Amino acid sequence: MNRTAAITTTKLDRVFNPRSVAVVGDKQALAYMWLRSLSSFKGDVYSVQIDPREFPGIAELGVKNYLSLMDIPGPVDYVIAAVPRTVAPTIVKDCIKKQVGGVCFFTSGFAETDTEEGIKLQQEITELARQADLLLIGPNCVGIYNPKIGLRHNPIQAYGEGGTVGFISQSGTHATLFTIAGERHGIKFSKSVSYGNAAILDSTDYLDYLKEDEETEIIGMYIEAVKDGRRFFRCLRETAEKKPVLIWRGGESEEGARAAASHTGALAQSSTVWQALIKQCGAIRVENLDEMIDTVKALLYIKPGIGARVGLIAMSGGQSVAITDTFARAGLTVPPLTRSSYERLATFFNIVGGSYRNPFDVSSSFLMSENAISNMANMLDVMEHDPNIDAIVLELFTIISPFSRNKEKPDPLLDTIVEFKDRSKKPFLAIVTTAHSEALASEIRERLMSKGIPSFPSFERGAKTLKRFVDYHRFKQEQALN
Amino acid sequence: MANKIITNALKNGRTVLTEVESKQLVASAGIPVVETKLAKTKAEAIEISKSMGFPVVLKIVSPDIIHKSDIGGVKLNLTNATQVGKAYTEIMAAAKKANKKADIHGVSVQKMAKPGVEVIMGMSKDAQFGPVLMFGLGGVFVEVLKDVAFRIVPLTRRDASQMIREIKGYPILEGYRGQEPANVTALEDLLLKLSEFVDKTPQIKELDLNPIFAYKDRAVAVDARVILESQA
Repeated sequence: MNRTAAITTTKLDRVFNPRSVAVVGDKQALAYMWLRSLSSFKGDVYSVQIDPREFPGIAELGVKNYLSLMDIPGPVDYVIAAVPRTVAPTIVKDCIKKQVGGVCFFTSGFAETDTEEGIKLQQEITELARQADLLLIGPNCVGIYNPKIGLRHNPIQAYGEGGTVGFISQSGTHATLFTIAGERHGIKFSKSVSYGNAAILDSTDYLDYLKEDEETEIIGMYIEAVKDGRRFFRCLRETAEKKPVLIWRGGESEEGARAAASHTGALAQSSTVWQALIKQCGAIRVENLDEMIDTVKALLYIKPGIGARVGLIAMSGGQSVAITDTFARAGLTVPPLTRSSYERLATFFNIVGGSYRNPFDVSSSFLMSENAISNMANMLDVMEHDPNIDAIVLELFTIISPFSRNKEKPDPLLDTIVEFKDRSKKPFLAIVTTAHSEALASEIRERLMSKGIPSFPSFERGAKTLKRFVDYHRFKQEQALN
Repeated sequence: MANKIITNALKNGRTVLTEVESKQLVASAGIPVVETKLAKTKAEAIEISKSMGFPVVLKIVSPDIIHKSDIGGVKLNLTNATQVGKAYTEIMAAAKKANKKADIHGVSVQKMAKPGVEVIMGMSKDAQFGPVLMFGLGGVFVEVLKDVAFRIVPLTRRDASQMIREIKGYPILEGYRGQEPANVTALEDLLLKLSEFVDKTPQIKELDLNPIFAYKDRAVAVDARVILESQA
């Protein structure tokens, strides 16, 4: 790491783990979003607001207000500025005078507007910050989320317990959506940052920081464009060697055909090059928020595996055909089992109204069986011991609720699945499609998740996730062998 | 050598190198190319052909003529001196007919290469990531099916190996329906040399080696095309 990068890391440490935060310009019109988000913050929270009409609202939240950053008695590690854009240069100057750790501009109306005034204003704050070596996040972003210390940018975000997932997002909405959706999917965050227009700090700076961050074991990124592509390439390559990095590239389709005199130039479109870059660096490409969530969940909760041969357990005949088609389409295989597996299945599996070739159709042996629980345990066990099978997928139905309705009481099926998950050495996941009741499906998924069993809401999402997951682990294994 | 070719072209206000210049440039990087010489007269063309050995190929060399075969500027499989002489005259006539003002350097003479699996490699510059290498099978595979793979420079051996295996047409390189397999290691070597070369030669804007003939034991570039960055 060179000197500049090391300095930035130390400075980023201060704003990612601040002990004091000041919000400049929070107001009723924003429903005091910033101050309410910071109600969970473990350190000192200050407000800076000069409009007397806002004073009662700020006081009601129990936050002390000042007329200027300079009036705050102690040091300020992190400033969130939600001021009108024309005031931004003044705030930057105050931040420099106050020697704050860094400032995040929620304020928008800069270069992203593509207007002369916006571009000029952004240049002005950039120049001021650069000259004084002030750490500036954004503008046009929501900045940092660090749940462990209760530093949030949205009042819905979870806090208290930190996790191992880091997120770097050019978009504030994606940063908010991913971090609030994560909760339902067993995804807890170490740190997340939305960086907007990247006037000074770009995705690479944050990636460099999370690369070294011990709390962060998985990194997700939402990127539209990078500034220094060569530096990003090197940094991504280094980071992906150490921890999984998922990349969701926004604006893939925007690039039109480029006039070029060579074959290579005509074919090398931006989206193609991004895909090559992601592959080359050993990162994981995802195309949307759902894929981001699914893949992070898989990395957190599915045991590593590199094989593409899947054992499928479906609840009915129709579902067993559909799930097989979907997994095959995703590039996975659904092979027959060994003879000894079939011999064992024949001792308990009812083939009247069911079948066990792979996929299993368990209508008669589970849904309509007195021995449902022991049969399920045995079916899972057969898949576990079959050498033709690398990964196991279990479908659960909402048509017939699989678990007892009383969530407080132990459920024999859930216990069986959990017991299997704990001892299984293969990648294992569940799929719970919605059918008639989203509420019931969600409840089943949440109960599974509470026991550390990842589930997916459609065959497609389960299949694509498993494919991406085994591809990643195969790549890592090949990398380790070379 | 490389610098001399580049400087000379830019000095003459050209960013598009001729076939002969392109091949010399690429050869200077240790990339195997079919030996190609410039003949400025008919007599020279015949003399070079004889010393190279027949059959040979003649192509027009002019910075003003890009699509050489479209105007009748390429003559293949010339088996003796008489054919070479006749081809020379025809090419010159065709070139003048196509573009009266064309700056004609002469014709290139090269030995007709033994057919192999046709492969394309190239470099272009991405606005964000700089030089990017492309690999694919030649002809219809690249032109119609766009079955190509990309990697960002510099490439590692693993990158080269993976990008070759990434294309859908890879089984063709392994030998398909009795055709000889291509030496994939030789192709990897070529990609790595190309990566190293373009990395240290930022004056190059775009480059195509198309086709490269891949054989059981080696690979050789049959045509090369280099476009330079215009000087600021």
